[in-house]
Amino acid sequence: WNGWYITVIVVLVVQIILFIYFTKYFS
Amino acid sequence: MSYADWIVLILTLAAIIVYGVFKSRTTKNLDGYFLSNREMPWYIVLFSIMGTQASAITFLSAPGQAYTDGMRFVQYYFGLPLAMIVLCVTFVPIFHKYRLYTAYEFLERRFDVKTRTLTSFLFLLQRGLSTGISIYAPAIILSSLLGWNIYWTNIFMGGLLIIYTVAGGARAVAYTQQLQLIIIFTSMFIAGYLVVKYLPEDIGFFDALKVGGAMGKVNIITTGMSENGFDWRDRYNLWSGIIGGFFLALSYFGTDQSQVGRYLTAKSVKESRLGLLMNGLVKVPMQFFILLLGILVFAFYQFHNAPLFFNQTQVDKISQTRYADSLKNIQEHYNLVDLQKKEIVRSFAATGNVDFSEGNKIQLININKQRDSLRVEFKKLVEKPEIKGDSNDTNYIFLRFVLDYLPKGLIGLLIAVIFISSWGSIAAALNSLASSTIVDIHKQFVNKKMSAGDDFKMSRLYTLLWGVFCIVVAQFAYNIGDSLIEAVNILGSLFYGVILGVFLLAFYCKPVKGNAVFWAAVLGEISVISLFVLNEHKIIDLGFLWLNAIGALLVVMLGFILQFLVFRKKSFS
Repeated sequence: WNGWYITVIVVLVVQIILFIYFTKYFS
Repeated sequence: MSYADWIVLILTLAAIIVYGVFKSRTTKNLDGYFLSNREMPWYIVLFSIMGTQASAITFLSAPGQAYTDGMRFVQYYFGLPLAMIVLCVTFVPIFHKYRLYTAYEFLERRFDVKTRTLTSFLFLLQRGLSTGISIYAPAIILSSLLGWNIYWTNIFMGGLLIIYTVAGGARAVAYTQQLQLIIIFTSMFIAGYLVVKYLPEDIGFFDALKVGGAMGKVNIITTGMSENGFDWRDRYNLWSGIIGGFFLALSYFGTDQSQVGRYLTAKSVKESRLGLLMNGLVKVPMQFFILLLGILVFAFYQFHNAPLFFNQTQVDKISQTRYADSLKNIQEHYNLVDLQKKEIVRSFAATGNVDFSEGNKIQLININKQRDSLRVEFKKLVEKPEIKGDSNDTNYIFLRFVLDYLPKGLIGLLIAVIFISSWGSIAAALNSLASSTIVDIHKQFVNKKMSAGDDFKMSRLYTLLWGVFCIVVAQFAYNIGDSLIEAVNILGSLFYGVILGVFLLAFYCKPVKGNAVFWAAVLGEISVISLFVLNEHKIIDLGFLWLNAIGALLVVMLGFILQFLVFRKKSFS
């Protein structure tokens, strides 16, 4: 199941990075 | 509400009840009633987990939260995917291995009866009270905005779902949650589409976000750092979200029977895990889009007249008192500022370019500050001792927009969304309250030798009794005051951490035995409640979200200390 767990963590990290860009772009 | 709205509302609610009763055919024993005979696939488990967590307040409060405080609330969910992984590795295989009905059953296998009874009692106390409050919270909003009688609204909000929850148990709960979520997401999407459509002609989706961003509402990531270092009172930031949110999600999904009962219905460990991991993947984007809807509503109100206060009942109440003149002054001043704001924003829109310069942003932020300070002045009137009103209108913002601007029929659908999203979480709560009562209490202390048929009858009776209990709590909930969601969250924080600590000792600390854990939990609970009382009396300054982590760590530490200092001889003799 490790592949699944790594996927979930990677998706969370990518989301946080996208949110940082989103915050900077719109404010 | 028009006739069309009433028809849509009644038909939607009736459809859910009929579908729930139709899906009620199950075997007449505990396995069928509480675990759907362990035959659910992962996607039903996923819908059930999401439908249990998302209540009416999720869909009412989050857009309002984005309107007033920006999007940073999404950070509260950053710890959730990490908690899902820990659950999949540790909790799920063990819960399935022993074919448990409730999470607390495991504690008797690992420790002893008294630890099991203590944790199930804490769960019943916390979940029973907070379910009552979660009936009242959406009911009071509907009652205020639509003029409905609060007692009857409570009874419909908490009562109709009892029909299918008593009839079909976990199976009816899971299938209705699936239908409920489809209706909810469709309705929210239509509402979002219409908000963008109602913006001025030249203003599109991205322009609306720029308007929100220029006023500081697109603050998705915040670090919680201030001039004096980290602000422990700041509720939603990256660190409180990842750490505090992780402990909260781990205790909620791992030790709260209303969630554990959802993924125990899965047909295998694999299906449980897939349901939980998918929840970890979709939860943050789901909250992001609900908050985005709040930003769109905020942008909409920059081009239209925004009410001084979104809960009109409070405004009407003050206009009947000796503060009517103060209200008039505030309202006139507010209207002028609002007009000024509209002119500035519209002048940008007319050029077809809303790339705000720094100067424009400062101008807009200043106007927004003026509006906010007028709102604060009004809230002070609401809080006057002789008025004692509700000065928080966050939960009223989205629904007020719906009632004022959306077309007939759609209003009825969104009112139905409030009912059915409440039902999803209340039905799961009643089902889990009944399962813990019968498995952890009744069959332990009242009647150990019951037939499968008697189990089934008693389970239905307990579901009904808990349903009535929660409605009674809702009828008395007006004594709590304004901030109901906070009350539910604080209530959770008082007990969740300690229960999580007990489970962490059970899974990860082999040498620690029953007596040490039991007294660690009792002392931990007393400590957490003491911290809460000290905070209430302003002796210490601590955000309640941290109580979860403190409670869990305290129980783990005390468990070790007691095991090796006090109960050592007994365990090794």
